[in-house]
Amino acid sequence: MKEEVKVLLVDDEKLVLRSVEKSLVRAGFDVEAVGDVTTALALFKETMASDTPFDIAVLDLNMPNFEGEVDPTAGLQLLSKLLEAQPGFPVIVLTAFDEVERAKDAVRRGARAYFVKGREADLIALIERIIQD
Amino acid sequence: METPTLAERRAALLHAGALVSRSITSILDPDVLLHRTVDIICTAFGFYYAGVFLLDETGEWAVLRAGRGEAGAAMVAEGHKLQVGGHSMVGAATARNKAVIALDVGDEPTHFKNQYLPLTRSEMALPLSIGDKVIGALTVQSVEEAAFTEDDITALQGMADQLAVAIQNARLYSENARLLAQATRRARLLMAAADVGKGVTSILDLDELLHKMVDIICDAYGFYYAGVFLLDETGEWAVLRAGRGEAGAAMVAEGHKLQVGGQSMIGAAIAQRHARIALDVGAEAVFFKNPHLPMTRSEMALPLVVGDEVIGAVTVQSEQEAAFTDEDISSLQAMADQLAVALHNAHLLRALEMAHAELVRTKTFEAVATATTEAIHWIGNKALPISVSVQRLREDVARLSGVDPEIVESMQEDLTLIEASARLIMQVKEHLIGPAREYIPAPVMTEDVVKDTVRVMGIAPEVIHFTVTPDLPLAVADPTQLSRAFRYVLQNALEATEDCAAPCIDVEIDLVEEKGVRYVVTRIGDNGPGVDEANLDKIWVSFYTTRGARHAGLGLPACLQILKQIDGKAQAYRRPQGGMVFELYVPVHTGSAPQDPANLPAGKRYLLVDDDDVWSRFVEQALRAAQNTVTRVADAGTVEDFTIFDVIVVDDVLAATDSLAALQRIARAGATARTLVVASSVRVERMMDLLRFGVRDVLPKPYTPVGLAKLTL
Repeated sequence: MKEEVKVLLVDDEKLVLRSVEKSLVRAGFDVEAVGDVTTALALFKETMASDTPFDIAVLDLNMPNFEGEVDPTAGLQLLSKLLEAQPGFPVIVLTAFDEVERAKDAVRRGARAYFVKGREADLIALIERIIQD
Repeated sequence: METPTLAERRAALLHAGALVSRSITSILDPDVLLHRTVDIICTAFGFYYAGVFLLDETGEWAVLRAGRGEAGAAMVAEGHKLQVGGHSMVGAATARNKAVIALDVGDEPTHFKNQYLPLTRSEMALPLSIGDKVIGALTVQSVEEAAFTEDDITALQGMADQLAVAIQNARLYSENARLLAQATRRARLLMAAADVGKGVTSILDLDELLHKMVDIICDAYGFYYAGVFLLDETGEWAVLRAGRGEAGAAMVAEGHKLQVGGQSMIGAAIAQRHARIALDVGAEAVFFKNPHLPMTRSEMALPLVVGDEVIGAVTVQSEQEAAFTDEDISSLQAMADQLAVALHNAHLLRALEMAHAELVRTKTFEAVATATTEAIHWIGNKALPISVSVQRLREDVARLSGVDPEIVESMQEDLTLIEASARLIMQVKEHLIGPAREYIPAPVMTEDVVKDTVRVMGIAPEVIHFTVTPDLPLAVADPTQLSRAFRYVLQNALEATEDCAAPCIDVEIDLVEEKGVRYVVTRIGDNGPGVDEANLDKIWVSFYTTRGARHAGLGLPACLQILKQIDGKAQAYRRPQGGMVFELYVPVHTGSAPQDPANLPAGKRYLLVDDDDVWSRFVEQALRAAQNTVTRVADAGTVEDFTIFDVIVVDDVLAATDSLAALQRIARAGATARTLVVASSVRVERMMDLLRFGVRDVLPKPYTPVGLAKLTL
């Protein structure tokens, strides 16, 4: 494992974004926090060829999509584009909705895990486990 | 006195004749005419007495209608009458249509001794006739013997003939007046009926319509009082809704009501569905003495009927006895029928308005609920970082050095307060949004869902007791949402009994039928202090709680919302022995549930890791019926080789162990890829924990053979 895991964190909710970012930084991760899917995809592609590509992404589900409209599947759309760019890239879907079918849908689309917001301590453990795997 | 000369006598007769002629042409009232006639005859001729008899309806009796002086008045009052063809002179004159004269009455065999006229010495009875038709007789009596001359007889017979014509005219006039009055009354009743018709189609306000109705009845018919009663919701009482005048207003204000089938005429008319009429109320057994209407002598009660339904009655009362004619009764009943239809329409309109208002309320509630849900969701999202921030701050505070310990303690306390508030906000969010989450109704075993919920909540077996009716049908609900509803009520019971020395929760699952709909009802009773009777309705209202500020008061409203979503219901009542009972009604599954085992996989070896319960017995039976082999174990630790099974099914909720422990063993054996985890209620975080072992899938528990067919790889 690299010394510092690089995490792409995407959420349009600024307070949540900052809070999760702080928790992850405090846990020793290198975090790029982004507030929209378009910027996130661009940043992901930009760093893919660099020396410091992302190791994992944590995405919110319900946020504006690539057309700028609020869309509960915006995170899933970004998930698909990330996996299209880098198949097998580990992604955790982060959302406030603890709906089983939505979680299964995310996993079916290639997410490694689905995580309910507000449990950052568990999220850190989950990221570490996925990176180790 | 000097005897008048013949010329003077004839002049007097002419004068009397002229007076009588003038009278009969100017007087139209028969009684006045007859009394004036006898007075003129006695005055003009100087006779002791004169009287007029008219034949009665049978033509057999001549009845005295007017008589001179006190004697005449007394006889009229007595109803003095003489038989036509009898022994009296009047009887003879009316029978023969010919004058009868007795100049010395003592010698006349037909004279009838009359105690009121003892001085009579001469009498003349002249028939009153028109053509051949005798209508009565005129009697003239004198105290003198042989008092009548031929001139007198001629003059009096002429007067009698004129009088007969005048009587006939007066009678015709009276009859015409009566017919005219009747026609006028009919016109008035028709107008009243038209007014009622107009009123019932144009007046939409029920009270206004009823008051208009009673006014029309009293004004048009001239009755003393009218009132309208309508049945109350129980159908047992007729309540006065409108009454004429001050009496009516006072009775309406008093809430005057009469029992259906009771002793009142209104009560009888409604019970028997036909009009009750008392022409002399004193003699009517069902008349109800009313202090507000002391003058009533006749009363009519007309039921208000629409189709087979009686909705009330109209009362009409008069100060006169026998006040109602057949015409009154039929026209008033027609009006009552019209009113009944109008009232029925008004009820329908009101029901329509109420339904519309309910719809508006529902839509408003939905809009408010949507806005509230979005607002709560927004607030919840904003509050999400609070607990995490608090955790970081706690870590930071713990690392502080050189700070006054009291300040550190105060900071820790503040963090605790902030954390508690954030937790409450998240709890509110969960309660409000939870029931609106995924909703996939399916056939469910209520017993299995309840028992799994109890185990997940960790309720000690010694606290909770189950009574389950055997062979219960499947209910229909989203099992996750139903489990959430049970959890709210069970949590409520746990908190209610937390101060009890021996807490006890009784769960009874039964089948009931209400209004043709079958429900699986789950009764959850506790031996806590219970809720006051006055507050029972409030417990279903959001944010109402009897348990202090740490409770949001949203669990039971959320439970109710979940049940309403599946056309079920919830209710609560106090137990007689103390504590509360909550009843959760879930509709029975009425859709088809094919039992064909051919849908199931066959020839497979199944390992079922589950307790011996209602669901595992169903699974074992169904899979074996489809020619599969099934091994059931409650503890996966007893299985030596997991790889010999084609399919491993693990119930997420086990009595003796955590299913994660079972999955660890299965994972160690390398058999997770052939493992399916089932749960009556699945939560995302739990699902992620389960999936972490690499199990094939996490599925909602199937409760039908068709659902069971999906438990394959």
